[in-house]
Amino acid sequence: MTVQEFWDYLIPGIALGALYAVIAIGYTMVYGVLQLINFAHSEVFMVGGFAVLMVFTKIDFNDPSVGMSVLLVLLGFATAGFAGAGTAFALEKVAYRPLRKRNAPRLAFLISAIGASFLLSNLAGKLFGRNNHSLTIPFENKKVFTVMNAQVTVLQVLIVCSAVIMMIGLDLLVNRTKMGAGIRAVAQDAETAGLMGVDIDKVISRTFIVGGLLGGIAGFLFAMNSSVGYTMGFFPGITAFAAAVVGGIGNVRGAMLGGLLLGLVESFSSPLFGEEWRYVSAFVVLILVLMFRPTGILGERLGRTA
Amino acid sequence: MIKIALPVVASALVLSACGSDDKKDDSKGSSSAPGGGGGDKPTYTIGFQAGLSGENSALGLNEKKGAELAVEQANASGALPFTLKFTTSDDEASETKSVAAAQKLIDDKNVVVVVGPAFSGPTQAASPNYAKAKLATLSPSATRVSLTDPKNNFTAFLRGTPNDSAQGGGMAMYFSQKLHLKNVMIVNDKTPYGEGLAAVAKDGLTKAGVQVQSESAPQKTPDYTSLATKVKNSGADGLIYAGYYDDAAPFAKKLKEAGVTIPMISGDGTKDDKFVDNAKDAAENWLLTCPCMDASKEAKTAKFVTDYKAKYKEDPGAYSAESYDLANFAIEQMKTFSDPKSITREALLGKLKAATYTGLTKTFKFDQNGEYVGEDIFLYTVKGGKIEYTGNIKELSKS
Amino acid sequence: MSTITRPEADERDMVVMDLAKLRRVPWYRQPRWTRLFGMVLAAALLALATGPNASTDDIFFSVNESMTDGVRLPVCIALMVAFWAFFEFVPKAPVERAKATARANTVDMPAWQNTKKAFDKTPVKLGALAVVVVVLAVLPLFISTRWNQVLVGNVAVYVLLAIGLNVVVGWAGLLDLGFIAFFAIGAYSTAFWTGSLPTKPPVELNPFLAMPIAVVTCLIAGVLLGAPTLRLRGDYLAIVTLGFHEIVYLIANNANGFSGGSGGATNIPHPSVHLGFLDYEWELDPKPYWWLIMGMAAVVVFLFIRLEHSRVGRAWTAIREDEIAAAANGVNTVKYKLMAFAIGASTSGLAGGVYASKTGFISPESFKLMFSVLVLAYVIFGGMGSIWGVMVGTALLAWLPEYLKDWVDENDRITYLGALLVIMMIYRPQGLIPSRRRKRELTLAKEGIGDADAMTEPAGGRIA
Repeated sequence: MTVQEFWDYLIPGIALGALYAVIAIGYTMVYGVLQLINFAHSEVFMVGGFAVLMVFTKIDFNDPSVGMSVLLVLLGFATAGFAGAGTAFALEKVAYRPLRKRNAPRLAFLISAIGASFLLSNLAGKLFGRNNHSLTIPFENKKVFTVMNAQVTVLQVLIVCSAVIMMIGLDLLVNRTKMGAGIRAVAQDAETAGLMGVDIDKVISRTFIVGGLLGGIAGFLFAMNSSVGYTMGFFPGITAFAAAVVGGIGNVRGAMLGGLLLGLVESFSSPLFGEEWRYVSAFVVLILVLMFRPTGILGERLGRTA
Repeated sequence: MIKIALPVVASALVLSACGSDDKKDDSKGSSSAPGGGGGDKPTYTIGFQAGLSGENSALGLNEKKGAELAVEQANASGALPFTLKFTTSDDEASETKSVAAAQKLIDDKNVVVVVGPAFSGPTQAASPNYAKAKLATLSPSATRVSLTDPKNNFTAFLRGTPNDSAQGGGMAMYFSQKLHLKNVMIVNDKTPYGEGLAAVAKDGLTKAGVQVQSESAPQKTPDYTSLATKVKNSGADGLIYAGYYDDAAPFAKKLKEAGVTIPMISGDGTKDDKFVDNAKDAAENWLLTCPCMDASKEAKTAKFVTDYKAKYKEDPGAYSAESYDLANFAIEQMKTFSDPKSITREALLGKLKAATYTGLTKTFKFDQNGEYVGEDIFLYTVKGGKIEYTGNIKELSKS
Repeated sequence: MSTITRPEADERDMVVMDLAKLRRVPWYRQPRWTRLFGMVLAAALLALATGPNASTDDIFFSVNESMTDGVRLPVCIALMVAFWAFFEFVPKAPVERAKATARANTVDMPAWQNTKKAFDKTPVKLGALAVVVVVLAVLPLFISTRWNQVLVGNVAVYVLLAIGLNVVVGWAGLLDLGFIAFFAIGAYSTAFWTGSLPTKPPVELNPFLAMPIAVVTCLIAGVLLGAPTLRLRGDYLAIVTLGFHEIVYLIANNANGFSGGSGGATNIPHPSVHLGFLDYEWELDPKPYWWLIMGMAAVVVFLFIRLEHSRVGRAWTAIREDEIAAAANGVNTVKYKLMAFAIGASTSGLAGGVYASKTGFISPESFKLMFSVLVLAYVIFGGMGSIWGVMVGTALLAWLPEYLKDWVDENDRITYLGALLVIMMIYRPQGLIPSRRRKRELTLAKEGIGDADAMTEPAGGRIA
């Protein structure tokens, strides 16, 4: 691989990694408070994509001006975030809370989440058709600048910047706010937190909302980069979950690191081994990391999400 | 909350199950022998097998609508000496479910011919059973070359479309003889369709002395940027994408962003308006091959499009017209029986094997192995957001 | 256990909390009205789910039609609101309800438990078992060929798989999300040894001889995967096994030279026996396969039941309930975990062998990740740890989607299946027929005594 190629693949790798990181945060936060794999998070991601698709189709813009583009992107974020948060909130209410009230075993949550995931993705397939849809990008996706001759497009800048902003915001939210303290308390010891006056239900609900917000926005970003379809969540979801585990599940910074790592691994596997070995390389990295660090790179730090 | 929610959801399920089975009446009351329907007209069923649910159901649903429309129109025409019914069997585009799905149609004694299966995998799995039952299967889209290998003994399989080798060969011919390319990159989507097409194209190009680079990008690749970069860095002067439009569209977009301007060609899996809709201006100048003739201007096709749109509220999709043609082909052959009560699976299979039929998309004829006869491949170009007919690829390559 | 005289602590606390909340929250945040709001949303969802299918030309088509056709949405809302009203206003006040629960809990052993006691007597049990076996044996003669195909190709094969997965998940408590990888390895090794792959074996064998090799291959694969990863805890193991599945699937799909790529392996011979006195060939007819798989399953089930109550089975239980305590008591946890993995994997390999030689054709599409998830869902649905529950649950869940094909629009089938899984998990998280030990563990965990294993422990702590 030449130096030029290295830069050529590094940039899409970072963009993809940033996306995975944002999705991974959704998994990791839910894992932090509930210690369970939220299998339906990939559908939250999908709903984000479809929500923006609907809004953008309704508006039906054509060659928007710069100001309009900015507005549309912001509208996209708002729509996707709102839809994602709403879906995650509803999921928690329907597929998780009743089980929690009944003290169901954790595997029951897994199956309930899988069921909810089937339901949502197939409902989307029914409502919007089984083909992929393309989301019109509200700006011209041209080259903004080059790094070592490798071009960087507007979309890549947008993805990375928004991911970084969201991650910083989340970090502050978890570490500096009262709500974050609640989340950390529940993650560390739900029962004790409850005794100390933390409303566990509320905290869990909010965790889902925050995770869903990020998931929905990631769905929007992903949709601009690729396309919208009712199964679009499946593979990014699994990879993002792997990313959360690689970084150390329950650990927000770990999820960011893991996402970035897997994004880069996938991107570089294309020139090194061939595009078709993308996921194989990602999962081999996962297995290798876990063999040497059984709780992920940064370690599982439930409760101390930072 | 839950205490109420659950009974409600449960009963809602029951309710909706009742609400949506209105169309599933077709195969009931079919216990009588074929042709044993009441009244003076015998009743026969045209079966349809494809993946109608699950991940890869888009194609199957398109084909189902085409075939269903054909049956409906035939019945409505009033000229049939028999009454037709239409029944579907969903194989979920999966070979694990295919055998049982096929058996559903085989068990229904009223089914005299089957349109489908849509994909090569399910066809491969189900064909021995169809062969045993002597029930003809007219597949609109199973293109794997080996399906008509006599060693398989799939005696009831009739391929209603040219196999991969015809199209792949056409692409290779056009690139090597017309455009005189020296170094072609072939990308396949890791489906049996894409891989088969890519293999044939590679073969053809290598024989013509063209250097070939092969890549595979599985369906639903989350980011085509790295592949587009690879194409750009490869120094290739031509690109073949062997896959379906769902993935061709994002790939085309990324190619455009990467600034790749070499000639790009894809097959009938991509020749769909959805490709242009999704890829927008990135689809411009893409070449598309298809064994289907350009019939968009003919009155017959226009009528098909209008009828289809009236019934399903959408334009015909990939393979809808082929499936419509094949169903009509079967109906035509059923009409040739002098005694409408004497139609049997075996006799109809024999007739279909020997017959020729010109439909909206092409002329159907089979060789003794059930292979589609006719190698004509037509070239289309995306121009100004429309797929435009360019010509017969053989003739174009000559000049 | 059956004569607890007080209402459950949780429920009582909830009632108190509900009453306290009633005093201070504004009306629109009272549970009753938020429930109404939820019901209306559910009605909208219901209207969407029962509405017309999508059109590829207009993404709003389906949504618009189902929301604005003037009948569907109002009917759904009316229905949901009626349900809401019924459950809100007809039953007694919360306190009364709590009393009723308390009363219900003091009732002596219900009648069905007496029946159950009678059933527990061995002769009765054996008799029932014999009846079941006979019914199953003659079942194919009474159903159509189509259902025979379903019975063999979808139900029986998955029952065999689920029995294997039950050892790993249900008994040893190892969460395995990549079980179908071993199924694939079994199927591909059978294809290899019968000479159906592009790579030719040294000798081409009859499928019956290839199957034991496939089983051993899977066993080795199980140990190879297990050895480095078994020190991982619950969810980490889940993602690693999932990754392993993807790796196996993608190798099958990508290594064209070895596996035939996405085209797979064709013309795998059907099994046959040529032993002089016995000369039989399995062909296209599904019935003989049913008897073949039933025979295999019977042997496997017999062995596994023996295993469950042996030293090994007890070691698994110990590991599942508390790995550290088990290790402290001298159980070689690594050895027993590996054993569970290998046994599960080899059962899966057997299923793979039968499947490959029955269909005569395999390709990577038969071994998608979704199937791994599904087979885990089957096991939990049936009641993990209970071999009978797992068999019944798998049979039911594998059969149901096929059955629904005749009744439900194909676009909606999986939606309903998803809803079924959610509802089932809410109402019966322990599965259809839970094992007795499992039930006890769940009760203990529910009451806060011992938190059983990682998979039994309720998530998010107990509700305060």
